Amino acid sequence: MDSELKRLSEFDEKIQEIAQEFGLDFFPQEFDVIPAQKMLEILAYHFPVNFSHWSFGRDYEREKTQYEYGFGLPYEVALNSNPCRAYLINTNPIPVQVMVMAHVYAHNDFMKNNLHFKPTRRDILPSASEAAIRFQKYEKRFGPEEVERLLDSGLSIELNINPDFFIHEESEEEQRERLSTPSPVVVASGPYDDLIAPKKPDRPSLDYYNKKTPLEPERDVLLYIINHSPKPLREWQRDILSVLRDQSRYLMPQRRTKIMNEGWATLWHLRIMDRLFKERLLNEEEHGNYNLYNARVLATNPRTLNPYLAGLRIFADIEERWNRGRFGREWEECQDPKKRETWDLGTGQGREKIFEVRRSYGDRFFIEQFLTEKLVHDLNLYLYEGKQEQGEIRYVISERDWKQIKSLLVSHLSTFGTPLVMVEDGDYKGKRELYLKHSYDGVELDQEYREKTMEHIFYLWDRPIHLESMANEKKVVYTYDGTKHTTARRE
Amino acid sequence: MAVKKQEWELSQRGLKDAARHREKIKESIQKNIADIISDASIITRKKGQIVKVPIRGLKSYRFIYKQESSGGTGVGQGEGKKGDIIGRQPIHDGRPGQPGDQPGIDFLETEIDIEELIEMMLKDLGLPNLKKKAVAEAAIPKGWKFQSIEKTGVTSRLDRKRTLKEAIRRTTTFVGELMRRTGEPEEVCRKALEIAQGDLLRAEKILREENLPEEGQGFIPLFREDLRYRTLEKDVEYHSNAVVLAMMDVSGSMGTMKKYLARSFFFWLVEFLRQIYKQVQIRFIAHTTEAKLVSEHEFFHKGESGGTFCHSAYDLAIHLTETEYNPARWNIYPFHFSDGEDFEPAKTVSSARRLLQLGVNMLGYGEIQADPYSSSRLMATFEREFHLEKPHFRPGEFEIFSGTDPATPFIGAVLKDKSHVYLTLREFLKKDRPFGGKNHGFRTEAPQRI
Repeated sequence: MDSELKRLSEFDEKIQEIAQEFGLDFFPQEFDVIPAQKMLEILAYHFPVNFSHWSFGRDYEREKTQYEYGFGLPYEVALNSNPCRAYLINTNPIPVQVMVMAHVYAHNDFMKNNLHFKPTRRDILPSASEAAIRFQKYEKRFGPEEVERLLDSGLSIELNINPDFFIHEESEEEQRERLSTPSPVVVASGPYDDLIAPKKPDRPSLDYYNKKTPLEPERDVLLYIINHSPKPLREWQRDILSVLRDQSRYLMPQRRTKIMNEGWATLWHLRIMDRLFKERLLNEEEHGNYNLYNARVLATNPRTLNPYLAGLRIFADIEERWNRGRFGREWEECQDPKKRETWDLGTGQGREKIFEVRRSYGDRFFIEQFLTEKLVHDLNLYLYEGKQEQGEIRYVISERDWKQIKSLLVSHLSTFGTPLVMVEDGDYKGKRELYLKHSYDGVELDQEYREKTMEHIFYLWDRPIHLESMANEKKVVYTYDGTKHTTARRE
Repeated sequence: MAVKKQEWELSQRGLKDAARHREKIKESIQKNIADIISDASIITRKKGQIVKVPIRGLKSYRFIYKQESSGGTGVGQGEGKKGDIIGRQPIHDGRPGQPGDQPGIDFLETEIDIEELIEMMLKDLGLPNLKKKAVAEAAIPKGWKFQSIEKTGVTSRLDRKRTLKEAIRRTTTFVGELMRRTGEPEEVCRKALEIAQGDLLRAEKILREENLPEEGQGFIPLFREDLRYRTLEKDVEYHSNAVVLAMMDVSGSMGTMKKYLARSFFFWLVEFLRQIYKQVQIRFIAHTTEAKLVSEHEFFHKGESGGTFCHSAYDLAIHLTETEYNPARWNIYPFHFSDGEDFEPAKTVSSARRLLQLGVNMLGYGEIQADPYSSSRLMATFEREFHLEKPHFRPGEFEIFSGTDPATPFIGAVLKDKSHVYLTLREFLKKDRPFGGKNHGFRTEAPQRI
């Protein structure tokens, strides 16, 4: 046992060395070797210790079944913390452990340097286990059903928060101030100033803003409810909801960089493993074993996009293009296939470019900017739809055109798969009803999920909930009043 | 060293929350149970077949885009051209957690068998009015009973049925996973798994390389994780005997739907009794204008035509009571199902009265009014003659009638659709139902073993 631990430590040092040589820049790295059960729990609960909920139990059971039946992936969990904490399953063979370690170092680098991770709380771990203890007390005091009911509802809108939380959070007072202060009237002074229409002080008065809530459409639905619910929420309930929000914010950077982060980690684990093999630190058999697991990581799935594979290919492609100078106007405009085929300006900026991309991009712009026609073909991407036929749902390829595939991906990624819903009015009809608005982007909301979610929001708000959206290209307002759902079409 | 072995106290959180999730699934099955149990595929299943009620994980509701399964669009990866099928998923109506979880978060499907279903739906139910009959033949010590099921044990206590069930459960999970990964239909995946002798990865390879032999056979071996063993515990309860007389109208006026409802009721009644009570005899009586004793198979599968004398069934029940089942020794439960189109209702009432006088524990009558055009109603006659009361009545709904004095332990139900089968079972098997609004000391402990 201890000799194995020793060997892992040696690998750790070696990997660290290679990683540094490659230019990766990471927090101090710590690995814990743990039993599989603990790993599965961390996967399901997102944290080493977290509060209880049946949905985590469900995920845990799913992970466990997959693990026990042997069709899970080589598990890796690297927490966004400083020092970066990661886990290894105590029963995994050495080559798998080494691969996971190499992979984790690149995650560590990514989380330390990517701009989306900059504002996150890297001290969340103790706070999650403290929350677990507090929630247990709430269960004793107010009943497990009450706590579960609240969690059910809170979790239903945990993703409806503002993902761009690194910008300064304005207090309501500041917001009111900003909105109600007329912008200074531009006095014509230069030769062209008369062409610019002077801005009229047409903003509503402070009085209007004293009554209006929220002052501007609010993207952080969960926060708005915590602060303004007329239910009213009790202290312990607000505590629980705040914990959900904090955890969701903590996990948000992972959600919006999934493809990049996994692609980046895969790119570097491949290169680090290659070096280890070349330096004969892994033998033939171990390398073969690694290849087997690696193939599973890179396997395609007919109904999802594999972020490890897609991210890897895109990063590799960027590196190659910037190495050969295959970017810029001249390249874009070149129509000669022969010329393109052999295009190599010896630019050699590949490495530099991928490090820059890993620093300043998120998935949406990553895909928008770097998913080329060739990559869409190489990755074998398609769009598919479900059709009900002969008593089953059949999923059928509906589109192979690369532009359409890319545009759907970009649109899904702009909201990280969660439709954008904002609070328009927290005092609708002057009766403190909640009016939400879905920013329609071409895809309708799922009805069953929408209705159930509105019921959850009702539980938190305790007054009728309205949701403006689109159905069949027409504006609709859905309402749930605590007993039934109604739909009103609007022109 | 940056690589450490952390001593974790193994928390039970995952297991506990998983159990809570299972419990919630059960709750939701219970809510839909009336639909599930009237599912034709269960009633008509072959003997010994496991009932597949696919259960998926409960959904976590949030705002999401329209699902691929309901016309939304997703991104996938692989070969194929426009129009090619890349995945399938069966549609199950009215089942919990169904259908269309997002791709990738499909819960592994599990199954439930009849025993579990019965346990869930008929919890706290039993034969009403059950009395201890103090005679020799009724007192049977049970000796040892199998207490719990464990994953380890000695070979002699291997529980074959449970082990097989585990294996089938695992196989189904594997097949589901293969379908999800490759998009091939269920039979193809099952075959590949058989050829690969249960090896999932090999099966996947076979499917991907499309070298599935036309004719091939194999079997899925048991895995060690499938094995289930029993533990023993001493059991010294005593029992009393009971007989159920299942009487069914199979005449021409009982159309397919009506027969289906009646059979459905008896199917569950029989399954339930066999599971709960160690010893219960069931006699099957089919009648048109004449009644006769038939085998269980005939009872459930054969239809006849012709007119209807319901009293013929009651007369046969009287005959059995007088010759084979002495009420001093036996708990007797006649249950009769008909559409109420009886040619001689007056005679039927007098035979039923005679049966009650003989001292049967309870007489249950179910009348199926599946179409609104039926002319005569036996239930109306019973109601009048026996002075029945209707404790729960909502117009146009399921109706229940009950005797009003201890000498008339009669319970009647009017069924109008499939979901009423479950309601009837619950009413007929209410253990402590008092007749006449008083408690007559018929209360029995739950669950009473006979």
